[in-house]
Amino acid sequence: MASYSSLMPTAARSLLSSCLSPLRQGSMAPLLSSFQQVRGAKNNPQAQGKKNKEKSKKSKKGAREFKQRDLKDMDQFALCDAMRYLRAFEVGREPATSKYEIHVRLKTMKDGPVIRNMLRFPHSVQTESRICVVCPAGSRHEKEARAAGAVLVGEQEVFENVKKGIIEFDRLICHPDSLEALNKAGLGRVLGPRGLMPSAKTGTVVEDVASRVEMLRGGTVYRERDAVIRLPIGQLAFTPEQLRDNLRATLEQIKKDAAGLNDRINKEIYEVVLSSTHGPGFSLNGEFKSDSSPDTAFLSGL
Amino acid sequence: MVNVFKRMRKLKTVRIIDVRVGTGAAILPSVTSATKEFPAITRLHLTYAQKIYGGHQGARHFWRNCLPRLKYHNPGLQMTVKQTQEQEGPAALTIYFAERTSNAASLTAAKVEDKHAPAPESTEKTAVVDLKNLDYKEIWNKVKMMTGAQEVPATPEEEAELQKLEQMRQQSEKDRVRIAAMRQAKKDQERMLQEARGEIEKLKQL
Repeated sequence: MASYSSLMPTAARSLLSSCLSPLRQGSMAPLLSSFQQVRGAKNNPQAQGKKNKEKSKKSKKGAREFKQRDLKDMDQFALCDAMRYLRAFEVGREPATSKYEIHVRLKTMKDGPVIRNMLRFPHSVQTESRICVVCPAGSRHEKEARAAGAVLVGEQEVFENVKKGIIEFDRLICHPDSLEALNKAGLGRVLGPRGLMPSAKTGTVVEDVASRVEMLRGGTVYRERDAVIRLPIGQLAFTPEQLRDNLRATLEQIKKDAAGLNDRINKEIYEVVLSSTHGPGFSLNGEFKSDSSPDTAFLSGL
Repeated sequence: MVNVFKRMRKLKTVRIIDVRVGTGAAILPSVTSATKEFPAITRLHLTYAQKIYGGHQGARHFWRNCLPRLKYHNPGLQMTVKQTQEQEGPAALTIYFAERTSNAASLTAAKVEDKHAPAPESTEKTAVVDLKNLDYKEIWNKVKMMTGAQEVPATPEEEAELQKLEQMRQQSEKDRVRIAAMRQAKKDQERMLQEARGEIEKLKQL
């Protein structure tokens, strides 16, 4: 009966059902209704899609924020105590390579903007960073770059040296005027793998060469990854006071960055961990020294 | 960042306890605690070669095990380490005494030339210990004898911590065996099932 009625237009069907005897209607109703349900779902792809989407969204949706563990379980250390341990772990290491590092854990959303910026420390971390500047020879920029402290400045002589494999610098900056010459020289194969090839994206192709050189000499680039900002903060020979100054400057800068973001985004510093190149991480409690920590004069030098 | 508990466990039970307690956890005589017998010590310098053959193993172990503990208990003491490429070269520890060497040191000092050690200042006297073919514990005993270092005994809390670590080590050994057996049983089961299925396939083909 159902298949018969399905061949007819809807209006005809309703006519037919109204003509049926009341006795048979009872058995007919569930059959018809079930049939209509199938038809409805099949012929309405929009509704189907909506249903699926709702399901997948539900399963995908995780926590919007990074998980914050309770720091009550964490033993925290005063700066001097942490330094004492770290200096013990770094004993006998190459003094030029060992550095203090901090890891700043933020309270933040999983998506949304991240903090990335540059910072100048009161006490310079890098022992020596050699910077090379590519700009037209004899130009104003050349003089400025040299005055700012670039080790190598020039165009053709730099290219030739690089081609020979003599790379006596850690950073390469290019002036837009000589970018074309640089690209023509085909140095990408040499410089690219070393991460030295200048490009506008990384901020190494700039008009104002001199200020950039100065920034790179004393500055450290940092960015937030998975809610943590990691950066080197001091040489191992630093005194606790020097390290404290650098730490303060860093935390203030990060707070400023967090405040400078969108109004609706709320970022807070959650935990600060001090570690070193070969040492473990010590969560800091914000104190400078505790009762059991040694004299600060003992915690400097190599 | 790694889970708080993981970090804590590693830091507290492995790294910190290791640097506080063990061979070499001792306080060397400083300017304030120097006696007539044992004058103050100003710095230490260690030289050894990169590879262990030629008797350099103990020296490296001394650096790995004892020096961090010494540094922790004597934070003001300067310690330098030089790893050389010269396998035939010396493996030596140079001890710098303020003003004069201790009697024990001058008696046991070896006549080894260590050209990597920084030159002593006019007020310093040095004693060189030959470390070749010595265990790091033997080296430490020698150093202790020469300098008159006062060993720092483990506090009751540290003892308890060490005991806990030992217990965990034993438990983990037991657990390792148990889990290996479980995994093996599961693998055997799977293999048997696989074989049974294979036989059915064979029967079908016939």
